[in-house]
Amino acid sequence: MANSHRLPPILRVVTIAFALIAIILLGVAFLNQPQSALAEASLSEKFQLPNNAACLSCHMVEGQIKEFPNGDLISVVIAPETYGLSAHATLSCQVCHTNISGYPHPENLAQSSREYTLQYQNTCNQCHPSQATELMDSVHSRVMAEGNPNAPICADCHNPHQQPNIEKDEQGRLTTVEHAQSAMVCGQCHSTIYDEYAKSVHGTGVLVNKNPDVPSCIDCHGVHNVSGPSGGAVFRLSSPQICADCHTNEQIMSKYGLSTQVLQTYIADFHGTTVTLFEKLDPDQQINMPVCYDCHGVHDIRRSDDPEKGLHVKQNLLATCQKCHPDATENFPDAWLSHYIPDRNRYPLVYWVNEFYKYFIPTVLGGMGLFVVSDIYRRWVVDRRRKRTFPAETDEGQEGKLESTNTEDQSEEKPAEEQNQSMDDNRQDEENSQ
Amino acid sequence: MSKDQKTYTRFEVAQRIEHIVLIVTFTTLAVTGLVQKFAQSSISISIIAALGGIEMTRIIHRAASVVFLVQAIYHLVAIGYKLYVERKQASMLPGFKDLQDAFQHFLYNLGLRNERPKMDRYNFVEKAEYWAMVWGLVLMALTGFMMWNPIATARLLPGQAIPAAKVAHGAEAILAVLAIFIWHFYHVHLKTFNKSMFTGKLSRHEMEEEHALELEKIEKGLIPPPPPPEVLQRRKRIYYPVAAVLSLILLFFVYRFVTFEETAITTVSPVSARAEDVFVPQTPTPLPTRPPTPTPFPTQEGQILDGPLSWNSGIGQIINQRCGSCHGAMGGLALNSYEAAMRGGRSGAAIVAGDVEASPLVTLVRDGKHPGKFEPQELDLIVRWIQEGAPE
Repeated sequence: MANSHRLPPILRVVTIAFALIAIILLGVAFLNQPQSALAEASLSEKFQLPNNAACLSCHMVEGQIKEFPNGDLISVVIAPETYGLSAHATLSCQVCHTNISGYPHPENLAQSSREYTLQYQNTCNQCHPSQATELMDSVHSRVMAEGNPNAPICADCHNPHQQPNIEKDEQGRLTTVEHAQSAMVCGQCHSTIYDEYAKSVHGTGVLVNKNPDVPSCIDCHGVHNVSGPSGGAVFRLSSPQICADCHTNEQIMSKYGLSTQVLQTYIADFHGTTVTLFEKLDPDQQINMPVCYDCHGVHDIRRSDDPEKGLHVKQNLLATCQKCHPDATENFPDAWLSHYIPDRNRYPLVYWVNEFYKYFIPTVLGGMGLFVVSDIYRRWVVDRRRKRTFPAETDEGQEGKLESTNTEDQSEEKPAEEQNQSMDDNRQDEENSQ
Repeated sequence: MSKDQKTYTRFEVAQRIEHIVLIVTFTTLAVTGLVQKFAQSSISISIIAALGGIEMTRIIHRAASVVFLVQAIYHLVAIGYKLYVERKQASMLPGFKDLQDAFQHFLYNLGLRNERPKMDRYNFVEKAEYWAMVWGLVLMALTGFMMWNPIATARLLPGQAIPAAKVAHGAEAILAVLAIFIWHFYHVHLKTFNKSMFTGKLSRHEMEEEHALELEKIEKGLIPPPPPPEVLQRRKRIYYPVAAVLSLILLFFVYRFVTFEETAITTVSPVSARAEDVFVPQTPTPLPTRPPTPTPFPTQEGQILDGPLSWNSGIGQIINQRCGSCHGAMGGLALNSYEAAMRGGRSGAAIVAGDVEASPLVTLVRDGKHPGKFEPQELDLIVRWIQEGAPE
């Protein structure tokens, strides 16, 4: 205040104007805040939408069926109990069913129940924009864009009249019950895959044992931005990383006594090397080198000691190799080291060849190196020093290096032995004096 | 000085060309092979990318290996010519003298001997390199064959021989490349630049230093003269057909090497491409396929039909159940009690006793203009009740 007293009137006006602008900007920023899924709870009050009781007076009555021109029948009954427990319980029906404001309802031109559902494709976007954006990147949206009406929209996975709030734990992970539930949602359309999955080591872990360490569909394929192997090689080539996320995690794997070397040993092998290089250099190129799931099963992954499909069982492993190498015989599977790093007991031949070279290479190179170093010593230390000590012996002067060494060598080899002897003595004297 | 400037022919043109081909194939094999051995390093990845990807790198590696093998066959034929036709000494054969020379040269380097050992046409340095090369070629060819034809290999050998071959192949490659750097580069590039492999000639000084014994022989005229032309001709007539047959047999081996087995690589499509249909909705579908049977109305129908119709004997219960959730205490028309129902709403009476057509309760619902509806038998009862004067 003391300061503002001293301000000239013009500055005071400017200050107030700035303050006003700041307030307006704040207000605008506040209004522009993105709508979150929680913010729309008051929508029905805000827009004075009718109370749901009017709609429910008809739609809660059992047995109401809507028939479409193609003969599809859908139930249009909303059970107040389940709706009341859903995440949308506080919403007026008209928030989503914007075109229905009275009775009789306006005529709907949908020819089939699917067409009817698809009319609501963009409805969820109003309140759930981030999920809707993720969905845009999914294989489901791509299939839809390619003209397949069976591709799911939000409502196919989340029944808007029943979907309760999804329960998560403190770390934001799905509760084990929700986790299992998510797989069943995918199973609605992918029933054969679900049946395979339900029998797999992962499926029983999720569905029966409710084990949070084990992946459900969404852990590998993503939640809304669902991806899969169809259309392009990217998913397939990068899939080893999906498996590796858990299978190289010591914390998780140690609980089940599983190896964390699986990725490392895979990449070291011909198949893995190729796949990794293609992923880095040519990610769109479809190749036939196996990724994890080509051998271990796509959805029907079993324990490695499973008698029917486990790859620890030799016949199963051979059968797996023969999928791509039809001529493979009994010995062939051993060419793949089964994710082991060879040691004395497992794949001893590989181990001993490795050991041999571990000593053979340094021995050979060391021997060569020793000789080369001795030769360098002779030429660049001893001979040079001698040249400096006896410059007169080089009768040709220092014109050419070759010639100079040449004459020096001659003087070394040709003269009478006594001279040689004396030279040698000289040299040794020199060395002693140092 | 004239004696010093004299040069000695060491390598013929054919040998020099052979050496250049060897440089090219060896370097190609080393580069394309080592990037596969260390495939995860960033240098390797950029080299592989520059070569056109890993598949192309492998193809180049295999092509170079075939050139290498063919060259080895040529080399055998050329040696055969020298030994049989020209009757030259097998000067590359290692002997005890080479060990001795190496040891003596080492002592000389350390200053423990006064003179270099006198060495013949091929000294121990060159023999070591040559035989290391031969050893490397044989081992690389064998282990390379095993990796190239793993299925055939596994028919004869235990499966783990293939990864063992891979280990040996890679280790031998490192050994060969480092030996070239340490041994070859030192002796012919660093120590002195020995250009004889390109010029074909050695100076007298170089001869003295490295092939003193050969020089001595040359100067003393101990090198046997080439055989007379007619002898040469006769031997050639024998050697050429034999060499041709032998080299054809060897070339056939190389051909088999390349084509021994059709690997899965080119014949089988990726497993995932044979995936089953993905979209298989669960059956039965969660949507009802036919209308469920209507739930029977839970009023005591018989009782109503038996006795006289009145609000209290059942009509009130029907109207409450069907209309109560809207037309209750919410304002407007209320149908939750007899008095309120008969009083009507803002737009007038809902029930006119005795006159069905004037009662909107019946007409609006009957004509389908009202969201809520009665079951047909319920509507009949209400109509009868109004006709009977709508008693309480």
